[in-house]
Amino acid sequence: MKAALFCLTATFLAGSISEQAFAQASFLAGIPRNEVLIAENPEGRITNPTWFNIWVVNHGSNSNGLQQLGMDTLWYIDPDAGIDGVWDNSLASDKPSYNSDFTEMTVKLRDGIYWSDGVEFTADDVVYTVETQMKNPTTTWGPGFLASVDSVTAPDKNTVVFKLKRANSRFHSLFTVRWNACWIMPKHVFEKQADPTKFEFNPPVTLGPYTLKSFDPNGAWYIWQRRDDWQRTTLGRFGEPGPKYVAYIDPGPPDKRVILQLNHELDIIHDTTPEGVFTLAKQSPSSHFWFKGFPYAHPDPTLPAVVFNHDIDAFKNRDVRWALTLLIDMKAVSMASYRGAATISAIAVPPTGLYPKYYFDPLEDWLKNFEIDTGKSKYKPYDPTVAQQIADLLRPTMGDKIPKDPKEIATAFGRGWWKPNPQVATELLERAGFKKTGGKWMKPDGTPFSITMLVEGDQRPVMTRAGTMIVQEWRQFGIDAKTQAYPSDFFPRVASGDFEAAMAWSVETWGGHPDLSFFLDSWHSEFVKPAGQRQPPRNWQRWSNPELDKIIEQVRAIGFDDPKGVDLGQQFIKLAVQEMPIIPLMSYNVFTCMDTTYWTGYPSAETDPYTDPVPNWANTKYMMVKLKPVEKK
Amino acid sequence: MLKVLRDLFRHNREFAAGSILVLIVLGIVVASFFSPYPPLDSYVVPPDIPPSWDHLLGTNSRGQDVFWQVAVAMRNSLLFGISVALISRVIALVIGLVSGYVGGMVDRVLMSINDTFVVIPLFPILTLFYFMMHDHMSWVVLAVAMASLGWPYDARLIRSIALSLRNREFTTQSIFSGMSTRQILMEEHLPYVLPIVFSTTLNNINWSIGLEVTLSVIGLTNIETPTIGTMIYWANQHTAMVAGIWWWVLAPVATVIMMFIGLFLLSVSMNEFIDPRTRLARMGA
Amino acid sequence: MRSYLWYLARRFGQFVLVVFVGINIVFFVTHATPIDPVEQAISSATQFGQSDPRAVEIMRKALRELYGLDGSIWQQYLTFWRRLATGDFGPSLSAFPTSVSTLIGQALPWTAGLLSTSTLVAWCVGNFMGGLAGYYRKNRLLKGLGIVATGLQPIPSYIMSLVVLILFGYLWPILPISGGVEMNIHPGFTFSFLGSVAAHSLLPVLSLALITIGAWFVGMRSLVSNIVAEDYVVYAELAGVDRHKILTSYVMRNALAPQLTGLALSLGGIFNGAIITEVVFGYPGLGTLLVRGVNSGDYSLVLGIASISIIAVATAVFAIDLLYPLLDPRVKVR
Repeated sequence: MKAALFCLTATFLAGSISEQAFAQASFLAGIPRNEVLIAENPEGRITNPTWFNIWVVNHGSNSNGLQQLGMDTLWYIDPDAGIDGVWDNSLASDKPSYNSDFTEMTVKLRDGIYWSDGVEFTADDVVYTVETQMKNPTTTWGPGFLASVDSVTAPDKNTVVFKLKRANSRFHSLFTVRWNACWIMPKHVFEKQADPTKFEFNPPVTLGPYTLKSFDPNGAWYIWQRRDDWQRTTLGRFGEPGPKYVAYIDPGPPDKRVILQLNHELDIIHDTTPEGVFTLAKQSPSSHFWFKGFPYAHPDPTLPAVVFNHDIDAFKNRDVRWALTLLIDMKAVSMASYRGAATISAIAVPPTGLYPKYYFDPLEDWLKNFEIDTGKSKYKPYDPTVAQQIADLLRPTMGDKIPKDPKEIATAFGRGWWKPNPQVATELLERAGFKKTGGKWMKPDGTPFSITMLVEGDQRPVMTRAGTMIVQEWRQFGIDAKTQAYPSDFFPRVASGDFEAAMAWSVETWGGHPDLSFFLDSWHSEFVKPAGQRQPPRNWQRWSNPELDKIIEQVRAIGFDDPKGVDLGQQFIKLAVQEMPIIPLMSYNVFTCMDTTYWTGYPSAETDPYTDPVPNWANTKYMMVKLKPVEKK
Repeated sequence: MLKVLRDLFRHNREFAAGSILVLIVLGIVVASFFSPYPPLDSYVVPPDIPPSWDHLLGTNSRGQDVFWQVAVAMRNSLLFGISVALISRVIALVIGLVSGYVGGMVDRVLMSINDTFVVIPLFPILTLFYFMMHDHMSWVVLAVAMASLGWPYDARLIRSIALSLRNREFTTQSIFSGMSTRQILMEEHLPYVLPIVFSTTLNNINWSIGLEVTLSVIGLTNIETPTIGTMIYWANQHTAMVAGIWWWVLAPVATVIMMFIGLFLLSVSMNEFIDPRTRLARMGA
Repeated sequence: MRSYLWYLARRFGQFVLVVFVGINIVFFVTHATPIDPVEQAISSATQFGQSDPRAVEIMRKALRELYGLDGSIWQQYLTFWRRLATGDFGPSLSAFPTSVSTLIGQALPWTAGLLSTSTLVAWCVGNFMGGLAGYYRKNRLLKGLGIVATGLQPIPSYIMSLVVLILFGYLWPILPISGGVEMNIHPGFTFSFLGSVAAHSLLPVLSLALITIGAWFVGMRSLVSNIVAEDYVVYAELAGVDRHKILTSYVMRNALAPQLTGLALSLGGIFNGAIITEVVFGYPGLGTLLVRGVNSGDYSLVLGIASISIIAVATAVFAIDLLYPLLDPRVKVR
């Protein structure tokens, strides 16, 4: 009896002591909170935390600050407006210069850039980077060089010349950061290693404006410190980086991230759920988002879509693909996936960055007049007001968080989409030989029309939610459709061709630059594999089309900045509307939430879209020079 | 039989509490057959409404009525638990009875295997199993897999009873009257072990529902089938707790806890009923 | 003494059997998986921007050679056992070329600490309180505890962890709900480090202990209440032996032996619970590592963790078996 009482008292006592201990503990032992920017690393806890050799396949962490703050390469293309224009010559002093038939590329390098250990960066480092990786095809970029590079030389300390095996007008893209690219290796460090692929590179010798200060042996956090000689890095051109320290941490699942930011213990959330963002917008006055109101998120230049497998008989027919498109009510998909906070797209490029200017505005009229002929009737499927309708749907509950100006709505929610029309869908399916018997659709061969849609499950919750909704709409029309969650090896499975439809993306763009080769080049029919063999990225749908090949070949023949590129891009988009090889849905909106308790100067869509705030993008290094500590009152 | 139940209900508080809890859950499960909404569909009601008269347990962020979701989920989870329990009972009975009755080398070999399975941590094995089955992972496959891992503890229990039965007089008589081993086990011994089998069944249902919840929450099952586990999975996907949709988490958790405690209390009271010593002690006390 | 040795030999035989059977299951299940680590690596590399189809072909060929996945399943099986004997599970496929053993080595101490603390606390508290409850059957407080314990016992680890997380993470946020130790504290025997480790382990330990305390409590109470009715206890009471002495020396000690066997038999289950609890609290142990291995399709890592789990649990059971005769002298006779 006494013992029992004693136990109870002891428990309570222990509880109250620990409560006091935590009230006093500072968040970051030894570092003043107002000197450190704390950002989420979406990779979570790192499996092999001591590994910093970013050049080998399956290396340790990528976005623990290593590629954002420690690495540098020749050029950056900003997915948004850019700090000084979209294109930035980083280690290079000028744009790449090709010879007339694109078989040679010459690069001029900047002077006065130094590694964090005081050694000067030179053309030899670039040559070493290329040659070492070519010798080791198990490195990330080695195979890319092997496929293109004949030889690489450094005529002087500031010049690198690439001789190419074949014409390649986009060779520089290997060194151009979209969110990542081939980083330059420190020759003086790696050449001492017998096998550069087995070298941990711990601590990393950096070319970026920060060096590694300390990290968790269990992989939950990394802290970087501003270099004293930050002027001797490429970022020095834009001024001193604001935060003295930057920490990249694993904040746990989405709900824990929201709690941490509510307590001001996490300055930048990489991504959370739409519901979590609404909570932050409501409860945290210091929160800041890319968009002030809806959709809050940063639209990444990536296009989630329904990717059909064109090896499946049913999906070889354009009529079937269009019928399935006309069964989707985009308003419902937007609500189900992003709770309305989606930026929708009817065409096969993401509605982000500068793409509205390049592609969406010029094509709007063509889309309005686009017509489908089912043989029985004619139908103009494009409804330019879908985004407007979504905004109207949200206004009663979200009030002034929803923009009213049609222009703002177009940037935030996108423009139009396809009007659902079961009648036209029926006519299209019937023309394709499908039949509805007993409320169920049958394929031409008399078997039930069933679709299993692969989704990534909790690896990509929002797209799983979209997939579930689309499948539900097909099911209600009498198609035996279901989703299958496949979190562990989604892309290998898609590559193997062992799927019918998938919620995935095969379209990714530069965002700020109109050139479409980033994804389009790999859509050429020369790369389409026969059924049963693995399809290389990114034409997961295995779509081939002679007209498409012609467009791609024309793109290859012109330079990166050639104005004809936009025209060819528009041709591709029109072809993709007619053929509907994938059903474009929306941009990949990332719910990056920033907290202004300790730092200001974050980018914003309305006032200063200088870069993408999504913290795992290497471009976020530009954010560091714009961030300023909040003065204490 | 009815009288026994009534007595149990009156004198045995565990039995009373357990049956009330289980009856409540069963009531919810039966109600699921009258659900006004197709269980797989989302956005059939306005989302995020707190509990009210229109929606007894509120609605979730997927636009589903939480009460009807819980009902269908509980039905599926319970069905799953019962299937696993039934299959694993068959294995446990065969191994337990044979081992206890035949004895000797057979007994030693069977029990060594048995003890091995008792000790091996099942969770890593089940995750590996998910790896192997990959996209063939379905409700039925998972049930069979778990059943083939969930028998050993109870097989040992059954063996110990069978061991004591072997030395009883009626067993010897059966042998002399020329009954085969199979006949003796099925006709003579089975009735004696059935009560204990019944009580272990209840615990095994709990065990399998618990594991199903865990695997589902990590996303290792088919997330389309509504079960208690997938309900919590979806609530996590929508960060229901920080979004303030607490009823979406509370409802399935509370229901399944009622089920766990109810079944456990029933099995405890069942054990007491089987073991007369404790019954006497209780009456004396 | 000879019977003790014979007992030891039999228990050791059982230990070997557990390890052998368990690891065989694990090996063949993992090798039946259709997941291809090379494709897994390619998919992660292509997500980093490398998507020239020609380059992917080159990379595929190079990685196949590097990972050395060739050879028949029997050759791989023999290699696996040979490596296992030296504690080597080969390189992790999602963190190549870091070895699986290194990764497990980082995680194991956390799991071991969590598991042993919670098991020890739960077993001692549960048995002690259960013993009291069985002996002082009329005590109201103990009866109340009995009801609570009975209610807690059947709840699975995940649900319990979730409830504890909600209670102490959302409703009354006083304890850390994530990770194993605070950021930027250097490991070592310092007050701040150890204090932080202890604080971070409180909620996981609590979730684990609550369930198992219930089980030990209920088990011990019924054991003790049976023993209390035995003649020798009644005689002792009549002879006026001090009640505390009866409880500790006569009753509890006899009841402890079966509870120790119970501990050995339930270690596998407790281990499952620990793994799941770690996942809920983001604790840096084997469970979190296991789920990460599953999500990245790294089957050599999953295989390593599953094998280590089996060996660890079997060893712990064997250790308990060695202790058993010290508590229950009757074992020597059998």
